Amino acid sequence: MQDTQTTESPSIPSRSSTSTQDRSSTVGQTLSSAPQPSKPTPIIPPLAKSTGPGSGSGVRRMRRIIAEDAEWSLAIVPLLTELCIQHIVKNFQNNPILKQLLPEHQKKVLNHLSPDLPLAVTANLIDDESYWRRCCTQRWPVCHVDNHGGSWKRMFFELHLENLLKHFIPNTTDPAVILNLLPLCRNYVRAIRVDQFLPPVQLPAPPRGGDQSDSGSEGEMEEPAMDHYQLDNLVAGLSHLEELDLVYGVKDCGMNFEWNLFLFTYRDCHSLAATVKACHTLKIFRLTRSKVDDDKARILIRSLLDHPALEELDLSHNLIGDRGARAAAKLLSHSRLRVLNLANNQVRAPGAHSLAHALGHNSNLISLNLRLNCIEDEGGQALAHALHTNKCLTTLHLGGNELSEPTATLLSQVLTINTTLTSINLSCNHIGLDGGKQLLEGMSDNKTLLEFDLRLSDIAQESEYLIGQALCANREAARQRALNPSHFMSPVTVKGPENPAG
Amino acid sequence: MNPPGSLGVLEEKEEEHLAPPILGPSIHSDNPQERIQARRLRIAARLEARRREALGEYLDGKKESEEDQSKSYKQKEESRLKLAKLLLCGTELVTNIQVAADIREIHRRVEEEEIKRQRLEKLENEVKTSQDKFDEITVKWEEGKQRRIPQELWEMLNAQQVHCAGLIEDKNKLISELQQELKMKDDQYVKDLKKQSDDICLLLERMEEQVKNVMKTFRQELQNIEKAFEVERQELLTSNKKKWERALQAHNAKELEYLMNRIKKVEDYEKQLNKQRIWDCEEYNTIKIKLEQDVQILEQQLQQMKATYQLNQEKLEYNFQVLKKRDEESTVIKSQQKRKINRLHDVLNNLRSKYNKQVKQFQEENQSLTSDYKRLVLQFKELQKAMRHFALIDDKRFREIWLMNEEEAKDLINRAFDVDRIISTHHLGLPWMAPDFWFLKNVGPISQQQQKSATQILEEVLMEAEKEGADEDSSESETYLDLPKQVSARTTRKILMLLCDESGFLIESKLLSLLLPLEKNECYLLRLDAVFSVSASQADCLHTFMLEPLDLRAEKERSLVDGKSQEKEPPPSPKLIHPNDVLKILEAFVMSLRKPRDFWVPVKLLKAVRDDSKDSEYWEALTTVIPATTLNLWDALYTALEKYHLVLTQRAELLIENSSLERQNTELQQLLQQYLDTKINSELQVPPTQVFRVPTK
Repeated sequence: MQDTQTTESPSIPSRSSTSTQDRSSTVGQTLSSAPQPSKPTPIIPPLAKSTGPGSGSGVRRMRRIIAEDAEWSLAIVPLLTELCIQHIVKNFQNNPILKQLLPEHQKKVLNHLSPDLPLAVTANLIDDESYWRRCCTQRWPVCHVDNHGGSWKRMFFELHLENLLKHFIPNTTDPAVILNLLPLCRNYVRAIRVDQFLPPVQLPAPPRGGDQSDSGSEGEMEEPAMDHYQLDNLVAGLSHLEELDLVYGVKDCGMNFEWNLFLFTYRDCHSLAATVKACHTLKIFRLTRSKVDDDKARILIRSLLDHPALEELDLSHNLIGDRGARAAAKLLSHSRLRVLNLANNQVRAPGAHSLAHALGHNSNLISLNLRLNCIEDEGGQALAHALHTNKCLTTLHLGGNELSEPTATLLSQVLTINTTLTSINLSCNHIGLDGGKQLLEGMSDNKTLLEFDLRLSDIAQESEYLIGQALCANREAARQRALNPSHFMSPVTVKGPENPAG
Repeated sequence: MNPPGSLGVLEEKEEEHLAPPILGPSIHSDNPQERIQARRLRIAARLEARRREALGEYLDGKKESEEDQSKSYKQKEESRLKLAKLLLCGTELVTNIQVAADIREIHRRVEEEEIKRQRLEKLENEVKTSQDKFDEITVKWEEGKQRRIPQELWEMLNAQQVHCAGLIEDKNKLISELQQELKMKDDQYVKDLKKQSDDICLLLERMEEQVKNVMKTFRQELQNIEKAFEVERQELLTSNKKKWERALQAHNAKELEYLMNRIKKVEDYEKQLNKQRIWDCEEYNTIKIKLEQDVQILEQQLQQMKATYQLNQEKLEYNFQVLKKRDEESTVIKSQQKRKINRLHDVLNNLRSKYNKQVKQFQEENQSLTSDYKRLVLQFKELQKAMRHFALIDDKRFREIWLMNEEEAKDLINRAFDVDRIISTHHLGLPWMAPDFWFLKNVGPISQQQQKSATQILEEVLMEAEKEGADEDSSESETYLDLPKQVSARTTRKILMLLCDESGFLIESKLLSLLLPLEKNECYLLRLDAVFSVSASQADCLHTFMLEPLDLRAEKERSLVDGKSQEKEPPPSPKLIHPNDVLKILEAFVMSLRKPRDFWVPVKLLKAVRDDSKDSEYWEALTTVIPATTLNLWDALYTALEKYHLVLTQRAELLIENSSLERQNTELQQLLQQYLDTKINSELQVPPTQVFRVPTK
């Protein structure tokens, strides 16, 4: 946090002095200009030189190449436009002129601008992707622009904001640091992905000092003081926010581990719920690895009921139990949720029952992930019954749920009837030999299922092999179907879903 | 709490994963290595299965693509399947770690739960026992309060202390135990962390390997595909080249052939040209000589012609002079003629106008006349009808009158016969025989049909034919029933038509042109008429000549026969003349027919005319029913009877006189009587009566 701040502030005064070096470096990166632009920095010296020695020796005039003079160039005095552009570039911070220029000149100016210019100047003025690309590559060594909708500018602002949030320490850092950025990035940020929220510092000592552990252990009393940064102002300011991916935890704490560092307080929860409710553009909401228990989940989900845009809810790796699952089931019938991820929680049979009940009448949900829960046969049977009536769900992950043969029996019946499911994961269950046979039977009548993960589920190898064959046939059929109506579905894309599913 | 825990487990499991696998693997064994081994085997089996499947699929693909897909397509398909397989297996391999971590986590959770339960149980037990102990101690405190003796109290306090120390020790033991456990867990956690990091390392390694593998295989497959394409292209190129070369060779061969042909032809033509040239030269020479000769001859002729020309010129000059003069004359005449022409033109115009007027007039006249004619025809027809009607009526009346007369005559005859009978029987006392005459039995007018002559028959035939011509179907059979049976009116008509067709030369062309617009039947009729008339007039002499050897009757017979023979082409009768004479005989026949034909119309109209000869005969026969001898007898008888009658009449007169006298006598007597009887008499002095004597009788 402070790094950026510190690097930013001294760079401004130093720019005038180091501008020449900057430019040469930046210019070197951009391939567009050949020797001619590389020279303009020392324009004045050559002029001076040419007046000096050129006037003295007439011999030099006759020569076309002066090998001994490293500075000598055939290039004559640059055009006035060039000079103007250089001037504009030099004084861009004080007097940004861009929109008034011709497109070609705009391009030149943008190519020569420094990525270190203050955001206040550039944010709303420059839309050029190449400039933002330079900014990004300069700041971060690894840039996955695909994760940011293919836009470098968006990526820059998202990562910048993320960086600020990650290093924000409540009560220590000035909230204005973030809020000042808001008017600059409000139109460009669509996703916030923060995988750490720092807790407030209790001691004047360095935030991650050894004393922290004492304060953390005593911190039961100071619970309200453990609140993290409140996102509400920020989110309210971002008009295009679509994705919110949060982890209330601390990374790289090492031996300074404290339970307090990973505390998702009720105030945090309430403020987050209000934030999410107020954000009507939100489509994806992820809150993982944050110790969200039933009550917090209920608070959050209540705020999400009848949300106009929400499509994906990911509460995996939390502590949600049956009550939270019931709330999620209620959310299913009161929203347009398409993806629900409750992996690695503590959902048991009653929760699965309520989810199954909601699923039976749902027509939006496409993917349901209940990995690493404990719904057991009772819940599995309820879900299988729900799948008899459901006509929408395509992906179902029930890995590691202590399921066994009865569920397999019901699922095999589902397989014969259902024509929407394309992927089922039953890995790490105790399906057993007979269950495997029954699943194979069900599979023999199915023509739509493309993936059926049965690893480590006590199934006979023969059944697994035969199921694999049936899946292969289905995949081939799906490929043919995809090829025939529209000819640009390649086989790789059909197989593609394998990667995220696994 | 959860994420770090799971992480630790992952690490722990990973360590196990890295450990060397044990033989005899089963997925359900408790040993993770064994399970991993089992999984690996299974993956291998699955890979094998996929490979086989892919092969089968490939075969299928090959089958269906045999006709239209090429090697490159096959390679593509193969590569696709291979890559898909690779991706699938790779991802499975990578995700296997996650699945393994999952199951380990599940196992850990189960174990943890169990341990937790045990621990809780233990703690509860401990709490219970310690509570008991504590209760015991507290009870003892109460007891201690009652103790008054210090030793006892001290003892008891000591005991209490010992008890408490035991309790505390117990607790401490428990605490230390728990701490031990905690430490173990900590160790476990550290181990787990390590394992998980190892696991993640392995995951990364595998992923990298997978990426590398995939890249490599993709590259390889790309190369393969490229190679396949290259090979295909090469093949295509070679095949095309071969084709091209073959075509080129063929083309060359053909070209050569054409060249040879051409050379040969050129030579031929050259030879022919030479020949032609020589021949032309010779011909040219001969023609030249001939033409020169001709020129000489022509020059000679020219000279001659020139001479004649001069001669002619002079002649012509003379002629020219003469003609000039004549021309002058002719001009004079021309002017005169012109004037005359003008005059005549005027006249012509006048005449034309007159002619036009007259034409109009005549047309009108013609119209009126035609209308008159039509009317007359109508009238005529009506008249004819009336006539026919009258003829019928006349017939009837004639018959009635005939019958009446006949009846009367028969009455009279009968009376005469009666008288005769009376006379002969009564007066002459002779026996009387009733005379028997044929006519006496006749009733009605005498029919004459049997007596029709051959001419009449023919006439009728002709008439019939014409009638038939006029109205086809009304063939009155009664008229020609008497004709030979084998001849129908139709054939007759045909013959006549033939006749008129054949003898068309006899008809005048003018007549023919006139006949053209007429109806067919009418035309035939008129033509026949013309033919007959012409043949009749022209063949007069022939006719007579032909008639010479034959008497009239024979001729008539023959004509009849001839008519028959004409009708039936092969002449059956020996009496027939030579066929060459047929025409002549026909003419003769026509001649004979001419007269009836002259009365054509009357004959046609009065076809019921009867000859009265028989009638008069009949009637005369009727009159001579009483033969002359009888008449004579009757005359004599009459005279005698007259005389007798006279005598008788005298006698009758006398008788009458006598009677009248008698009557007068009686009357006078009566008168006398009366006078006598009257009183006057008496009165009178002298009665007259006295005077006379009354005759007495």
